Amino acid sequence: MNLWDVSYAISKFLMDIVNFIFSGILGLIPDPVGSFFEGIGSWSVSAGVVNFITMLLEALIIIIVALLNVIILIWIERKILARIMDSRGPFYVGPIGFFQNIADGAKLFVKQIIIPRKVDKFGYQIAPLIFVGSSFLILSVIPLSPGFAVTDSNGLTIPGGILFAFAVFAIAPFSILVAGWSENNKYTLIGGMRSAAQMMSYEIPMLLTVASVFLLVGSFEFSDVVSAQQNIWFGIPLFLGLIVFIACMIAEVERIPFDLPEAEAELVEGWTTEYCGMRFGFFMFTEYMRGYAGCGIATLLFLGGWLGPDFIPDEIWFLIKAYIVFLVFIFIRGALPRIRTDQILDLGWKRLLPLAVLNLLIAVAIKAAGWI
Amino acid sequence: MLSDTYLPIALFAVLALAVPALVFWLSRYFRPIQVDECQKTTYECGEEPIGEAQIQFHFQYYMFAIIFVAFDLVSIFIILWTLVFSDIGEIAKAMVVTFLAILMLGVTYALKKEETLWI
Repeated sequence: MNLWDVSYAISKFLMDIVNFIFSGILGLIPDPVGSFFEGIGSWSVSAGVVNFITMLLEALIIIIVALLNVIILIWIERKILARIMDSRGPFYVGPIGFFQNIADGAKLFVKQIIIPRKVDKFGYQIAPLIFVGSSFLILSVIPLSPGFAVTDSNGLTIPGGILFAFAVFAIAPFSILVAGWSENNKYTLIGGMRSAAQMMSYEIPMLLTVASVFLLVGSFEFSDVVSAQQNIWFGIPLFLGLIVFIACMIAEVERIPFDLPEAEAELVEGWTTEYCGMRFGFFMFTEYMRGYAGCGIATLLFLGGWLGPDFIPDEIWFLIKAYIVFLVFIFIRGALPRIRTDQILDLGWKRLLPLAVLNLLIAVAIKAAGWI
Repeated sequence: MLSDTYLPIALFAVLALAVPALVFWLSRYFRPIQVDECQKTTYECGEEPIGEAQIQFHFQYYMFAIIFVAFDLVSIFIILWTLVFSDIGEIAKAMVVTFLAILMLGVTYALKKEETLWI
């Protein structure tokens, strides 16, 4: 499936309707007004406008696909986590509780919003927008298949997509720090500071692991990385890198055992304590969206992306692999306790960093020997 | 052209910011509004909050922050080096590996020293 072609067809169709309304119907009005409407009609079918609408449609389709996936992932997580804890999970709303998330979202949507007196209004309002917006933006560079990606009018994906994804990933701790500070609450302040500490510990090992993939491929683009894995998935020679990357990615998306910024047993609800209603709902939702993006990136870099036997479409292969990585996340969440701030710093700098450097040296050796 | 290549991303960014903004704004027309002064106090498990929270916070990972700043730059060097790895000579490859080894020695030293500094 080629996203650009589909969006282009839809946008062409829509603009033809607009042209018909303006030139065909409103153009019948006598002249000064009629020719003005005709001008609008012919402008709306010009190449620039159609391309612009096509790009918007592409973004919209990718966001909607991601939202559907995230709703399914939340449901899977609630079901499996419940089974790990020997309970049944949601089962009231819809078939086997499938629409429970939508019901929760609707409940949060109509909740009253209470803004405490002491908060710093500007930071309080802007931090959710940065957090949610940057998390949506990660999806823009993650391709589900060679065709199913955000492309420009020449059908080219964005150059340097992997770097862009990690750059956007790294914005979130900043917004968490802003939120924690401006809420003027002791719990949120500690949560924000913990988020900064956590970011310091995982960012370097993760970038070094990604560098080992760059070394084998010599490109910053997801499509090149995936097509370089035709013979062997990078997760096999760089097994160490895969493990370090998964650990860092769990820290990046703030899931147990690395969810220090919102440790609900110690810090009420961490940095989200003073948020309520739809803002809180979006934080919860965005966490899973980041999880989905993280699983997608792990799949593309180490598990061969959309490569697989032909009888299943490319996009489905990608989603199957991403869901399996997410299952690993869920089992880790069910199995491990939360760790302390100093432990995560020690883990990042004394365990993961040497492993990441070792992984980089393995990649250098493989490249120098010419095996890949 | 650069602006042509990144125009889809720019549009995506606008849309990504518009979705949460629109949802927050729309929920204004569905949620109840009950004004009560007690609601607006800072949440601290039912206690009266003592003092402000916007204080000089003693964050204990000063040494990690320093080496993080150094290593963040190093990771940029390394990423650029990996991109051109197959085009550069043996000496250039060996030099970056040596550079990395020296840095690892530095990190080991800093963390050893830091163990006594941790408060």
